[in-house]
Amino acid sequence: MDFLLTPEERERYSRQILIEEIGPEGQERLKRSRVVIAGAGGLGCSIVPWLAAAGIGTLRIIDHDEVELSNLNRQILHWQEDLGKKKADSAGSKMRRLNPEIRIETIAESITEKNASTLVHGYEAIVDAMDNLLTRYILNRCAIEKNIPFFHGAVQGFEGRVMTILPGKTACLRCLYRGPGPEGKFPVIGVTPAVIGSIQATEVIKYLLGIGQLLTNRMLMYDGLEAIFTEFAVNRNPDCDHCGTLAD
Amino acid sequence: MSVKIHIHSTHRRFTEGREVVAVEGKTVGECLNHLVRQFPDMQKAIFAKKDKLHNIVEVYLNHASAHPNELPKPVQDGDEIHLILMLAGG
Repeated sequence: MDFLLTPEERERYSRQILIEEIGPEGQERLKRSRVVIAGAGGLGCSIVPWLAAAGIGTLRIIDHDEVELSNLNRQILHWQEDLGKKKADSAGSKMRRLNPEIRIETIAESITEKNASTLVHGYEAIVDAMDNLLTRYILNRCAIEKNIPFFHGAVQGFEGRVMTILPGKTACLRCLYRGPGPEGKFPVIGVTPAVIGSIQATEVIKYLLGIGQLLTNRMLMYDGLEAIFTEFAVNRNPDCDHCGTLAD
Repeated sequence: MSVKIHIHSTHRRFTEGREVVAVEGKTVGECLNHLVRQFPDMQKAIFAKKDKLHNIVEVYLNHASAHPNELPKPVQDGDEIHLILMLAGG
């Protein structure tokens, strides 16, 4: 792939190229970038279109699920006509129509301890759009082992949280680990993952461009009912069984 | 010695709707025990068993994670504790 911007791309991205921190060089950097989005549910449906529209050169969307009617209150890349389709394929087909300039890869597989490393190999950012803690921890460990930044997000109801993890440098998801939590269907309304996924996508773009202040060592909590963002400091746990042995 | 505990919205049905409760204690654990003495229903909401928090309960002291070993951490007059519930949905 030629990483110089074509005239069409200069036009497509012209409004963000005007941003001082991006410019044409930043846009070319985004074009060279390769990002994995793990999950095409509520969070994924917020994260993926922003990264696709921004011109991330290669997006890999992983989700083994099929679209169900109860997904449609929040997973806005999946429509009535997509019921029964693989979510990865449903999301991928929309994104190819949104931005044919970028490469979209779709993988309809479950993420497991066995395949996680292969699924993210060669990528420079992993975005957490999962709906369960177990797979989040698999990705967290995998990100640390492969030294790939991990962009955490989670939601429930009107609440959400975001944290960015730079392996070996900043607190990881497991540094907060207290033990297994509940699994199953969580209450959620679409506006919550819309907010949280947008922040995750912003973090990815900032990281790729090396701009701004990342949400590292700090968890940003969002309470949609109160309309409040609250920030909490999170430090690396030296006894963390995922990142505790890594040098700072 | 007074410490403020910010109650998560999910737990406010156990604190008569109060968002912030003033407690006393020299450690996080003593403060949480004082909270439970004032609002006994908070016991089952935050503790899995004596001196063991539920896995989903996160404790932040002065806007910083108190994990691990939250309960013995010392507190000072004017400190603030936030009780937050872990989120796992996506």
